[in-house]
Amino acid sequence: MSDITHIVKSYEEELQNLNDNLIKMGSLVEAQLSDSMEAIIKVDKEAADKIISNDAKVNELRATIEEQIVTVLVKRAPMAIDLRLTISTLKISSDLERIGDLAKSVAKKIKPLPHDLPAELISSLRRLGDLVQRQLKNVLDAYLNKSKDSAIKIWKTDEKVDDLTHAAMNEVADFLGQDKKNLDLATHLLFVTKNIERAGDHITNIAESLFYLIEGEHIEGARPKGKDFDPS
Amino acid sequence: MTNNKLKIKANNLNVYYGEKQALFNVNLDIHSKEVTALIGPSGCGKSTFIRCINRMNDVIDICKIEGSIKIDGNEIIDKDVDVVSLREKVGMVFQKPNPFPKSIYDNISYGPSIHGLAEKKVDMDIIVENSLKKAALWNEVKDRLHEAGTGLSGGQQQRLCIARAISVNPEVILMDEPCSALDPIATAKIEELIDELKKSYTIVIVTHSMSQAVRVSQRTGFFHLGKIIEVDTTEKIFKNPGNKMTQDYITGRFG
Repeated sequence: MSDITHIVKSYEEELQNLNDNLIKMGSLVEAQLSDSMEAIIKVDKEAADKIISNDAKVNELRATIEEQIVTVLVKRAPMAIDLRLTISTLKISSDLERIGDLAKSVAKKIKPLPHDLPAELISSLRRLGDLVQRQLKNVLDAYLNKSKDSAIKIWKTDEKVDDLTHAAMNEVADFLGQDKKNLDLATHLLFVTKNIERAGDHITNIAESLFYLIEGEHIEGARPKGKDFDPS
Repeated sequence: MTNNKLKIKANNLNVYYGEKQALFNVNLDIHSKEVTALIGPSGCGKSTFIRCINRMNDVIDICKIEGSIKIDGNEIIDKDVDVVSLREKVGMVFQKPNPFPKSIYDNISYGPSIHGLAEKKVDMDIIVENSLKKAALWNEVKDRLHEAGTGLSGGQQQRLCIARAISVNPEVILMDEPCSALDPIATAKIEELIDELKKSYTIVIVTHSMSQAVRVSQRTGFFHLGKIIEVDTTEKIFKNPGNKMTQDYITGRFG
C-alpha cells in the first residue's frame, strides 16, 4: 500500500468510500452468518425471518460497490495498486454477497425443522459454524490490516473447514441410518452443512483476492483440499 | 510478449546542459522490434535520452554527452560517427506534427533523395506510395499528393511525419509524445500504426499518457530526476511495479 495520497482528492475519496462500503458489507455479512448459525442451533424461526429479510441490505451494498467500481474504472483508469484494489474489491464484494446468500439459505432451512435437534448433530454443526465464522472474521481483519500472512493462514485453514464438514456430514448420515423417518430432517441438515462449507470456500476466495491485492501475484499452489464426504 | 534481442544499449550515459546535469548514469536496454515506452514527470530526462539515440542533442552547443550508446553493438556517442547516416537509421517523430512547407509528395521524397535512395522518378514514386501506405495515410492523400502537407489535419500531418521517417528505411523510430496534440480518433490511428510498425521497426516512445504507454508498449522505463528508476515489461510496471516511486508516479500520487 502507499503512504502517499493521490494528488486528486476526489479520487482518494472514491477509493476511501469503496473501502468503507466493503467493510460495511463485511460486517453485515459477518452478522448474517453468525445469526444464521445461532438461529439453526436454537431453531429460532423468528431470527430466521430477520436474516432472510436482511439479505436485501447485503445485495444493495453489493450493487452500490459495483456501481462505484465502474465509476472508478471509467473515471480514473486505475493503475498498479489502485487497479489491484479495484479488482480485488469487486471480487471480494461478490464473495461476500454469496456468503450472505448462503446464510439466507441456511435460515430458510430452519423453518421446516422441529424445535429440538439431536445434541450430537448440534455439536458437530456448531464446531463447523464456529470455525467458518472465525475464518470470516479473520479474513475481514486481514483485509483491514492488509496482512499477507493472515491471508495465507486463512487460505490454509480451509482444509480444516473441509474436515469438519466431512465429520458433520457423517454425523448426519449416521443419524439418518438410525431411522429412515429422519430423512427429511437429515436432508435439511446436509444442505445446511454444505452451505456452511461453501461459505468457507468463498472466504478462501477472499483470502486469495487479498493476497493478490497485497502482492500483485496469485497464491501459489492449488487450494488445500480436505477429505471429501463419504457416506459409506 | 517481449523478445530478448537487443537493439540499443545505453551504458553509463551522462548528459549535461552546461553546468546542469540532465542524465545520471543511465543504463537502458531497448529490444529489437518492440515498443519501449519512456515515462516520467516533465524534466526527468526521457526526451533528453531519446534525443541522444539519434544525436539530436548535437545541435545544442552547451550539451555534453558522456558514456555509451550502442546500436547493434556499434557505438554512436563518438565524434567520428556520421550523424547523417545515423539519422537515416534512426528516425524521429515529434510532439507537434512538423511537415515541411512543401507538398505531401516532397515531404516524403526529401529524405530518400538526399540519401540517394532513388535514382529515377518511378523509384521515388514507389517509395512515396509505400511510405504513405505504411503510415496508413495513402488512401486519404493519394489524389492530392501535390497539395501542401501543412493543409492536412493534425492527425494526418503526424502520419505524414511518420511516413517521412519511414521513407529512408530506418531501423529505429523515436517518438516524442507523438499524440499529445491529437484528438482521440487521430490518437487511435497512430496507436494502430505503432502496433503495425513494431513488426518491422524498433520503436521508442516518450509519452505522458500512462494508458497510452500500457496500450502500445511491451516494455516501460520510468525516469525521475535524470535517473532511470525502473525498467520492466509494461505489464509488470502497470500491474505491480517493483519500485515505490514508479507506483506513486503512475497512480497519480507524486508529491
